[in-house]
Amino acid sequence: MRMDALKFVGKRLLLMIPILIGISILTFAISNTIPGDPARLILGPKATPEGLEALREDMGLNDPLYVQYGRYMGGIFQGDLGQSTYSQKPVSADLIRYSPATFELTLFAMVITVLIGIPLGIISASKKDKIADQITRIFALIGVAMPAFWLGLLLLLLFYLKLGVFPGSGRLDSGMSPPTYITGMYTVDALLTGNWPVFKAAVMHLVLPGITLAAITIGMITRMTRSSMLEVLKSDYIRTAHAKGAPENRVLYGHALRNGVMPVITLLGMAFGHALGGSVLVESVFSWPGLGRYAVNAITYLDFPAVMGVTLLIAILFILVNLIVDTLYFFIDPRLKHN
Amino acid sequence: MLLNVNELSLSLKRAGKYSKILDQISFQVEEGETVGIVGESGCGKSMTALSLMRLLPEKALLEGEVNFQGEKISGYSKRKLEKIRGNQVSMIFQDPLTSLNPLHTVGTQIEESLLLHTKMTKKERRKRVLQLLNDVGLPRAEDLIDEYPHQLSGGMRQRIMIAIAMACEPQLLICDEPTTALDVTVQAQILELMNKIKKETQMGIIMITHDMGVVAEVCDRVIVMYAGKIVEEGPVLEIFQNPKHPYTQGLLDSIPKLGQRKEKLGSIPGTVPAPENMVVGCRFADRCSHAMDICRTVHPPMIGIKENHQTACWLYEEGDEKDGSIGSHKLEAALH
Repeated sequence: MRMDALKFVGKRLLLMIPILIGISILTFAISNTIPGDPARLILGPKATPEGLEALREDMGLNDPLYVQYGRYMGGIFQGDLGQSTYSQKPVSADLIRYSPATFELTLFAMVITVLIGIPLGIISASKKDKIADQITRIFALIGVAMPAFWLGLLLLLLFYLKLGVFPGSGRLDSGMSPPTYITGMYTVDALLTGNWPVFKAAVMHLVLPGITLAAITIGMITRMTRSSMLEVLKSDYIRTAHAKGAPENRVLYGHALRNGVMPVITLLGMAFGHALGGSVLVESVFSWPGLGRYAVNAITYLDFPAVMGVTLLIAILFILVNLIVDTLYFFIDPRLKHN
Repeated sequence: MLLNVNELSLSLKRAGKYSKILDQISFQVEEGETVGIVGESGCGKSMTALSLMRLLPEKALLEGEVNFQGEKISGYSKRKLEKIRGNQVSMIFQDPLTSLNPLHTVGTQIEESLLLHTKMTKKERRKRVLQLLNDVGLPRAEDLIDEYPHQLSGGMRQRIMIAIAMACEPQLLICDEPTTALDVTVQAQILELMNKIKKETQMGIIMITHDMGVVAEVCDRVIVMYAGKIVEEGPVLEIFQNPKHPYTQGLLDSIPKLGQRKEKLGSIPGTVPAPENMVVGCRFADRCSHAMDICRTVHPPMIGIKENHQTACWLYEEGDEKDGSIGSHKLEAALH
């Protein structure tokens, strides 16, 4: 069984390579066909044609596209993602600097999603067509239908400006210094170093952007859990459990939940990717210094190496998360171990 | 008397309106007795089984009385009924693969009944589970306990279902087509096991099946159901030798017999009427070659042909068919 799981993971990791090559070609091609000249953006409106030409030559922009791509990929294998034209720093250094904030926010949103979405889905399924189900349905629909930036603004308006219960921007209160760097995620680092005031501030700052980011995924997970649970509750082994004399709650949590949660886990992998993508908007609304905001800036300044770096990183993360999800099945469903 | 079912009716909501699935079913089961309920698909056999323990869909309307060991369990609350389910009354279902939870080990699933209904310690429960696996004829119980349903064959799975049902030594066992989903050889093994269990315990058994062979193999008494009603009831031998109701006769005619080379097996033309458009008179009339005018207007009452042998058919009257002429009750009904 262990061997099977390892073999499975190994195979999937190998499969990642062609996927990533495909993604890199696509992103590279797209970012190079966008009209706009990075050299002109760097040198500004007063640039001379000679200066522009020299910089283009220097940046390798005059080479054929496949040469540029080959040079880029050659660099990647040496850990070199190129130089960000906007921040004037290596893209890899920027990614290391900005990604912990995004991971923290995304993970927080996923935790909220699991803690709220799955229980709501279960309640919805067990009280099918009753009031609890209807209310959950409405909330789930609102969550899915509401654009993230709009919800973010509403939350800011209410909880930050009007009520003042949650902070509205950044990762920490102003003047507060970040905890000792371990993972770069302030909550985790603060916990590890036992820095309670910082931990509390970091969590408070996560609440509004976290809810904004999670709204859609909560809605998705709630509906999925509901329909999956309803399907499971109709099955013969649930009838067997009732025939054994198992009380309602035991049937629901002991028999139905584990079977019903499987498609939900797959969706969670997808939701994670969705949240990573969604962070671009949410980070802008909440001035969250993460990858999303970095990506928005990079796009505005036609900073191709940075855009490529962010895209590849998110793609790798998305594939890895889905790999973890698929591996989880091995531990939940015994049928996979033996086939 | 172990079980006394009195005028049990069941209506299910289908496409927005209630339609009657069971119509005033009455029957009894004694201790140690095996009663077969036979009939075609869709005649209400399984629904009868599920109604007894109220394992029904939410929008089900149940009327009538179910008395178990003198207690009127049809009036029990859900919680009170849960104490009986799997403890005093157990059930075995048709498809053992879908009836077992795919994510729980065999051991856990058998143990659950013990966990729910007894105060056994973990060690005692394990011992009992091993014993049960042994009782239902499964070898290498020690390994089996940690295996999952998908690793077992159909016959083994059904033995597991039987072990689950037997865990708390119930007084009544309800089997809903326990052999239908199995290979013929495995069917025979399971029936053999049922007969062994029957001999060893004083359990009452309700055997629901469409297979007259199964009835002959294990049952003491048979109830023949048609379209939600009981049409004939009697001891197995009597029913096989002297079937009265044309439906029962049809069922028996459709069994191939060894040594007889018939051109064609007997079959009953037509299908069971849907509960939504139930006819007024005898529900079998449309498919019956003996149908008379009265059959289409008045439903025949249950009458005793002999002691223990009853049928609901206008062809007969109280106290055997000695008198071939139309009996007084037939006339009476015709006059209405």
